[in-house]
Amino acid sequence: MSKDNRKKIRESLAKRNRSERHFQWFGKLGVILGLAAVVLLFVDIISKGSGAFRATYIQLEIEYDPDAIGVLDVNDTEELIFANWQNFAKKSLRDLFPEVTKRGEKRKLNNLVSEGAGFDFRDQLTQSPNLWGTKETLWILADDDIDTYYKSWLDDDPFSARLTSEQIKWIDQLHSKGLIALKFNTKFFERGDSREPEQAGIKGALIGSFFTLVLTLLMSFPMGVTAAIYLEEFAPKNKWTDLIEVNINNLAAVPSIIFGLLGLAIFINFFGIPRSIPVLGAIVLALMTLPTIIITSRAAIKSVPPSIREAALGVGASKFQTTLHHVLPLSLPGMLTGAIIGMARALGETAPLLMIGMVAFIVDIPGGFTDPATVLPVQIFLWIDSPERAFVEKTSAAIIILLSFLMVMNFIAVYLRKRLERRW
Amino acid sequence: MSNSKLSQSISTDGADPKISEQVLDVEKDLLSMESYSTIGNNLVEDAKMSVRNVNVFYGDKQAIFDVHMDIKKNEVIAMIGPSGCGKSTFLRTLNRMNDTIDSCVVSGEVTMDGENLYDPKLDVVELRARVGMVFQKPNPFPKSIFENVAYGPRLHGLADSKVDLDELVENSLKKAGLWEEAKDRLHQPGTGLSGGQQQRLCIARAIAVEPEVILMDEPCSALDPIATARIEELIEELSQNFTIAIVTHSMQQAARVSHRTAYFHLGKLIEVNPTETVFTMPEHKLTEAYITGRFG
Amino acid sequence: MTELSFENHIMTQFDEELEEIRTRLMEMGGKVEQQLKNAILSIHEGDSKLAKDVIDQEKFIDQMEKDLDDSCILVIARRQPAASDLRLVMAVTKAVNDLERIGDEAKKIANHSIILSGEDNKKSGYPEVRHIGASVSKMLSDALTAFARFDAEAAMKTFNQDVQIDLEYKTALRELMTYMMEDPKSITHVINILWVVRSLERIGDHTKNLCEQIVFVVQGKDIRHD
Repeated sequence: MSKDNRKKIRESLAKRNRSERHFQWFGKLGVILGLAAVVLLFVDIISKGSGAFRATYIQLEIEYDPDAIGVLDVNDTEELIFANWQNFAKKSLRDLFPEVTKRGEKRKLNNLVSEGAGFDFRDQLTQSPNLWGTKETLWILADDDIDTYYKSWLDDDPFSARLTSEQIKWIDQLHSKGLIALKFNTKFFERGDSREPEQAGIKGALIGSFFTLVLTLLMSFPMGVTAAIYLEEFAPKNKWTDLIEVNINNLAAVPSIIFGLLGLAIFINFFGIPRSIPVLGAIVLALMTLPTIIITSRAAIKSVPPSIREAALGVGASKFQTTLHHVLPLSLPGMLTGAIIGMARALGETAPLLMIGMVAFIVDIPGGFTDPATVLPVQIFLWIDSPERAFVEKTSAAIIILLSFLMVMNFIAVYLRKRLERRW
Repeated sequence: MSNSKLSQSISTDGADPKISEQVLDVEKDLLSMESYSTIGNNLVEDAKMSVRNVNVFYGDKQAIFDVHMDIKKNEVIAMIGPSGCGKSTFLRTLNRMNDTIDSCVVSGEVTMDGENLYDPKLDVVELRARVGMVFQKPNPFPKSIFENVAYGPRLHGLADSKVDLDELVENSLKKAGLWEEAKDRLHQPGTGLSGGQQQRLCIARAIAVEPEVILMDEPCSALDPIATARIEELIEELSQNFTIAIVTHSMQQAARVSHRTAYFHLGKLIEVNPTETVFTMPEHKLTEAYITGRFG
Repeated sequence: MTELSFENHIMTQFDEELEEIRTRLMEMGGKVEQQLKNAILSIHEGDSKLAKDVIDQEKFIDQMEKDLDDSCILVIARRQPAASDLRLVMAVTKAVNDLERIGDEAKKIANHSIILSGEDNKKSGYPEVRHIGASVSKMLSDALTAFARFDAEAAMKTFNQDVQIDLEYKTALRELMTYMMEDPKSITHVINILWVVRSLERIGDHTKNLCEQIVFVVQGKDIRHD
């Protein structure tokens, strides 16, 4: 090689190396930006949402006196239903602050504890009636405004806009006596939705999401996989199958709200399926994830080397046996990945579910596939729409739950993949 | 090889244009000819398989033209020819492996022991059990060595008991010359073997269902010379019990292992002769040109 | 197959190697032909210097044989020739052997020529030598031409010339026998002539072998011992 050429190469080499370095920098920058966005999201969500896992409780001494709630006969169920259970808490608070006498002040005092406390007393006493007439020291859930104030006050940034100066004074007194404290919020995981932020829980939406997803998976995975196998292995290659293929690809790109409209028009109006139930949500979400599963499954089937099929056919396996014994096991990990991607999308989907009534305010925790339910993303949507400040941290907490749900699903997918692949 | 490519390869490096023109003329004749006849002894007395008037089409394109040929019992017959000459396609008509390609249409008659293989009543699964196949790339299933060999017999229910199956697997591996290397790792994945061992595993898998004919489609093209030599030795041994048709792009391999050699050119069967004849004094000009490395 | 070419291989080096083998075989053939002619000429001219020259040149022919054999082995090892290429290479290894033997015979003739030139002017038997010598020279020359042209027909014709030479050889033997009976003193001389004639006859046989090889190369037919 001539000296001249070597010089040229050396000069161009510097340029080539520089462009390679630049490319690497850009790549690294992209990764760093991505990571930063994720970290920011997580820090923000967790910092906002972590508060929701703890709630403010006030310690009160409760006397289960039937007179206090205006009940004459504790065995008269009808009377119990209409009783003013909240009075137990009110009475205890008045005992704690005997100086409060004015009517308006009394109401403010009563507002320290959650409106839902009365329901807890009712449940408690219905379950064990022998408690009547006894005394008990209990941690009672505080009202959401108190909760918001107390948490912000603990953080040295008090938010007192919705409280009177008396209420702040009472909280101070309670705090100095050690009668007010933050405790783990078990109700958040035990309750359905509520108008009262301190009473609102995630369990209803969580169970709703679970039921909906299980049904979605049961409907879309077998159907998607069989459709993919048929199209890839058995269907003749002609313009009809081409047309089907194009349409499946188009279907994957259809906005999800269209599937909601489909559910509304066909399944509710035509077939008369009741609205708001997981079965309906699952049908709509299954239709939505089906194209994704079919496309990824076909890709997984395509990636099985043709030599394996030839080998099986060569020893005399039928087409179906070849598919069942070799193609399916080899492509299953890929199919599972596709299914999980589809499921993750379905889990995060809101729009189609709004159309079929899963946006309803549902307090009860669904007990089955046909009970009205809502799902996590819709719950988040509902909460973020609510005016009470306490719902901000509830929303973030729900997002944390949703993300954890997704992560659990992904871990299961990765685990299944590893297991299935290890067999070979 | 397309006609233009052929003429190029011949005319560019030839100092003497006479010969290249001759070969070209022969090829042109061959292309234009509606009917042609194969030179040599393509038909034999005691045929295991007989191929008559076979044409193969891929859509509009004809890949095989009017082939007449017999395959003798317990012989090794090699099919050679330039790439794209249809030798692999022809091999695949013998166990109807072409059925898997939608656009492929086969006309004519292929018989084995007098039975028409393209009879609509014949189940292709049974045919493939009788005519085994070994492929170009070693393609063991991603399962254990044992499972690989046992797959065929299990599929067809050939073994009555576990003991039978064990014995069948052992015998097949022994016949394929893999037993000594594999007996201690029967339950390890077949894909962990070396290339040559994998190909012998594929041969063991093919012979486990005790076929009558074994088709081999360039079985050594992915192997090193030592592994190739092992397979060739194995082919020689297997020809005691099986009829073997082998497609190879290595003329030397055809010369080493086969008893008869068939030369294909542009989908036509040009010449079939005993291997020693083909490699010392081929009858057809095109065979000669291919054998001596004039094109291919 | 009537026309034969050793060109147009995809590997042009192979063409060149085969061409080189052919050229060198022709060269060797020419050299041997020259040796034969010189040996016969030295007898007629009584030229012992020419005869010595023939003897000296023989070692070059031996060297050519070795070189050509090596080339053939190399081609077989490297190119695995088949069909006509293979036949050519095999034929050349055999032809080289025959040519070397012809060279040996020419050397023997030259040896006898030296002895003959030391005798005083006895010319009995020379016409026979001239006669057979001319026939054998022509046959060798024809054979080499046929080889150069890969002409099987010409080779077959040349092949048949050997019958004539055998006939001439037998006639010459009878003649020489008569000379010995006529003049017992000339027996030593005639025996020398006898050896020369015998060598010429052997050269005819080797030339016949050459022709067989040509037919083998061109037609793939083995006509030996037919």
